[in-house]
Amino acid sequence: MTMTTDPEVAEAADDRPPTPPTVAERRRRRRTPMSWLRGGGLSNLAFVAPMLIVFAVFSWGPIVRAIVMSFQKTNLVAPPVWVGLDNFARVLADPNLGTAVLNTLYFAVLALLFGFPLPILLAVLMSEVRRGKGLYSALAYLPVVVPPVVAVLLWKVFYNASPDGVFNTILGWVGIPPQPWLQSSATVMPSLVLEATWAAAGGAIIIYLAALISVPPELYDAAEVDGAGIWRKIWHVTLPQLRGVLFIMLILQVIATSQVFLEPFLFTGGGPNNATLTILLLIYRYAFQNSLGGAYGEATALSLMLAIFLALLSWAYFKLTERWSTN
Amino acid sequence: MKSSRRIAIAGITALAVAGALAGCTSGSGSEDGRLELRVATFPPGADQAAYDAFAEQESQFEEANPDIDIVGVEYEWTAPTFAAQIAGGSLPDVFTVPFTDSKTLLQNGQLMDVTDEIDELGYADKFNPIILDEVTDSDGRVYGFPRQAYANGLHYNRALFEEAGLDPDSPPTTWDEVRAAAKQISEQTGKAGYATMATGNTGGWQLSTQADSRGASLQTDDGDGTYTSTIDNDATKATLQFLHDLRWEDDSMGSTFDLDWGSINQEFAAGNVGMYTSGSDVYTALVRDFGLQPDDYGLTVIPTENGGGVLGGGDIAVMPPNLDDATKAAAVKWIDWYYMQKLLDEDAAVADAKALSDAGQAVGTPVLPVLDQATYEESLTWIEPYVNVPLDQMAGFTEGIFEQTPIGEFKGQTQPIYALMDNLVQAVLTDENADIDALLAQVDADAQALLDQ
Amino acid sequence: MTGAPAEPLLDRPHGAAPRPRLLGLRRRERDSLDDLGDRGVMSVFDRRRRSVRASMTGVHVFLFAGLVVAGLGPLLWLAKAAVTPTQDTLSTPFALWPNGIDWENLSTAWNDIHIDQYFLNTIWVAAGSWFFQLLIATTAGYALSVLRPRYAPILNALVLATLFIPAVVLLVPLYLTILNPPVIGTSLLNTYWAVWLPAAANAFNILLVKRFFDGLPREVFEAAKTDGAGPFRVFWSIVLPMSKPILGVVSVFAVIAAWKDFLWPLLVLPDPAVQPLSVRLPAVQSQTELDVFLAALAISTLIPVVLFLLFQRLFLRGAGLGGAVKG
Repeated sequence: MTMTTDPEVAEAADDRPPTPPTVAERRRRRRTPMSWLRGGGLSNLAFVAPMLIVFAVFSWGPIVRAIVMSFQKTNLVAPPVWVGLDNFARVLADPNLGTAVLNTLYFAVLALLFGFPLPILLAVLMSEVRRGKGLYSALAYLPVVVPPVVAVLLWKVFYNASPDGVFNTILGWVGIPPQPWLQSSATVMPSLVLEATWAAAGGAIIIYLAALISVPPELYDAAEVDGAGIWRKIWHVTLPQLRGVLFIMLILQVIATSQVFLEPFLFTGGGPNNATLTILLLIYRYAFQNSLGGAYGEATALSLMLAIFLALLSWAYFKLTERWSTN
Repeated sequence: MKSSRRIAIAGITALAVAGALAGCTSGSGSEDGRLELRVATFPPGADQAAYDAFAEQESQFEEANPDIDIVGVEYEWTAPTFAAQIAGGSLPDVFTVPFTDSKTLLQNGQLMDVTDEIDELGYADKFNPIILDEVTDSDGRVYGFPRQAYANGLHYNRALFEEAGLDPDSPPTTWDEVRAAAKQISEQTGKAGYATMATGNTGGWQLSTQADSRGASLQTDDGDGTYTSTIDNDATKATLQFLHDLRWEDDSMGSTFDLDWGSINQEFAAGNVGMYTSGSDVYTALVRDFGLQPDDYGLTVIPTENGGGVLGGGDIAVMPPNLDDATKAAAVKWIDWYYMQKLLDEDAAVADAKALSDAGQAVGTPVLPVLDQATYEESLTWIEPYVNVPLDQMAGFTEGIFEQTPIGEFKGQTQPIYALMDNLVQAVLTDENADIDALLAQVDADAQALLDQ
Repeated sequence: MTGAPAEPLLDRPHGAAPRPRLLGLRRRERDSLDDLGDRGVMSVFDRRRRSVRASMTGVHVFLFAGLVVAGLGPLLWLAKAAVTPTQDTLSTPFALWPNGIDWENLSTAWNDIHIDQYFLNTIWVAAGSWFFQLLIATTAGYALSVLRPRYAPILNALVLATLFIPAVVLLVPLYLTILNPPVIGTSLLNTYWAVWLPAAANAFNILLVKRFFDGLPREVFEAAKTDGAGPFRVFWSIVLPMSKPILGVVSVFAVIAAWKDFLWPLLVLPDPAVQPLSVRLPAVQSQTELDVFLAALAISTLIPVVLFLLFQRLFLRGAGLGGAVKG
């Protein structure tokens, strides 16, 4: 499951540069089986075949199947039965859905608050230092290198809620009483977000650093001519120049956080009392949690609804930001 | 996962080999012409001694049955992987499932009919009829071999009891005494005086146990295939209030409230928990998988009040329905040899006990009889010389258990409802202002909705 | 998802550039991180001001302390805890070995948890994913960019379309496809094919590779053809050798993604004997004493961290490129 969903990339790919027709293309004008063969039809097919098979079986097929299954009741033992919109109705009537949506939103908002500005700030600072940039980049990127599962399991130890826990000991040094971290409905979600931010910030920092380097220096020169100080330059030159990256990173982060799974699954299993039940965890529960067979129909129905929602959201987002990000 | 999990592991007198074998591929012979039989063994993480003991038993079996090649497969009953294995046909040829799932599995046609084989082996009438009922369908066909049963007990740490100034030889006998002892342990030692499981369906399992002991009935079997949820009752409420008070008034439950079967054992074995409830047979796993010091261990019966009883469960050895005849015959041989004979036959019982004790595994952990009482008590005398568990530290349980009323786990949607009940336990332990009445009413309604599906 | 990408993400090499540049990164970006030459927000003049110099020192201290604590701190703690007895870690998490060092944790973790085996499984998962992703991406990229059969635009569109589908939609149907794949009729559960092949159906890779191939000089191919080289020869001896930069990038992405993946291998590799570390570590947690478990986490972290330190530039460039691609 390593699909990427980068809309911009896809779109951009369509405007390929005009190239003169190749020899092969010119030959293709009149087509008979012979000319197809001679024009390399067979070797074309040989190169296309691996991709065709793999995509048909493991991508296009399952996508179509997801749509079909969302209208069926399947338990893998009996043949599937068409049930119309029942799966959707049942998911929408599930009291856990509201909980999951709210929790996911809560996670997304917290993740934006913690996780969006911090890497920008760090990247701007790091881009200004003259020495040690390599060291800082490496340090910032280190958490990204730690396998995510290991990171979560390690942080679970940090979050030990006894007064002798790792974080509680640190809090003790500055006179703050021990926190329950994962053991309380109130603190559990911020704890998850804190770890997620730690794990992801490094990647964002490196991306912003690369973007900062491409800000044309002439713009700063020009701003200085107008008498701008450092802060005004950041506000009026740096951030506007980064806006393309910022807009994209923002929507990508929203899309990613709306599918958060690893942290709630490994930290809490969705608890306590469903305080960290997210949409993806709910899908997982529908499909895989019941030892007596999954509710595959409900699971695909919910994942389709999530996909459609994200599609609409991205579309609206790009419509909204189109004007600001071009020019 | 709860009970099942514990069962899967614990029960295993060390070797619960529930034979897992990739159901489908089983028929094929191995290269030397022997029939390959894939059988479930222990859960992941067992220590080397458990593997050694199994290897010894495997070679004994193969010596007696030279045409069968036993392949041990690591196996642990957990809800998500079990569903995947069923769907994917990757289960072993012999594996175990908890009572909670057996009825549904056999109704779905996912288990092999073994009625004739059990008749042939001649011990069909020796089973405890209540337990045999767990694997019998409405036509009287039998779909598995009940191999082990347990009752819940109250496990306690004798070292912490002493440190707190309590007498480890007279453990609490009422829930009020449990609360007082927990408070004392917590105040004197700084450890959790009492703990309870709360995640992965184990919260619901242990909430049932504790509510049943206070006289609750969580579900009514309407007799026509439908069930009525009665989770919302005074005994369940009293249980939740009890947990709430220990957590928030006495602060005697430590700081970790997301324990499940494995992690509570881990905490207990590490000396961080004074008391908890779990299956009576968990001692085996505590020593084998969690490094418990045997001297620290104490086991007594769960306090009962208001006519309450003790919740029990167990598991059965079963086969997937698609085995060919030869494999099925081999699988029955294995189940008979590995699980059943040691309950029935003196030589087998002694050989099994000897192998376990040589490998440093527990022998004599208290269980409930799956066969009739007389056979069970006789079998205890056979293995007496090999018993290596501290029976005198379990006297509270072994002396009291047959006085208690046994109760089975409720039948309708057991695991999904346990999952709902997890939330009740988590709520009272993590939210001081949890509204118990409202939560109970909600879970009761949600459970009923599941039952009505 | 949908939406109009704001601007072309990769400025691709146009026409017959003499040598394809690494996805068109401008020169300044290529030697980005320690680049001292160009200016950022602050001018030379700014840097001379005393207040700025003082605050730059502050920035250095802040960055250094913050990044060491946040980036390196958890790993150092893990390294310490890996050789500390459980009771010490629990009661005094920051004390340095009050009761001596317990080296045995490491060997216990290695032998009893069988880290070696799961580590090997992890490598196997990553190696296969890498191979199949490269195979599919290069053959498909070659077919779509260079051979261009008549049906290429349709294929191209079908591949791009999958970029807009979030991974969660595939979860259940893909899982059922693995249980019961077409044609071969036997479940792929517990085989590495179940991880490799879905990973290979990666539209993003194809897009990257195809766009790179688009920028290769066509004259070279035509010349080779005139010399009698067939399509396979051109692919193997001309296109691939010219494409090392993009193959490196796809490789880094592929290996990192495989290394980090959790949910998918959890579902399709239920047999412990074939599981990678990411799936195995959470499974053994509750059966393993804390000190040994932390040792296992430390060992699992060590390898990627060492790889990162060795190939820092490649990693950071890959990550920055992620930015170029995204932004």
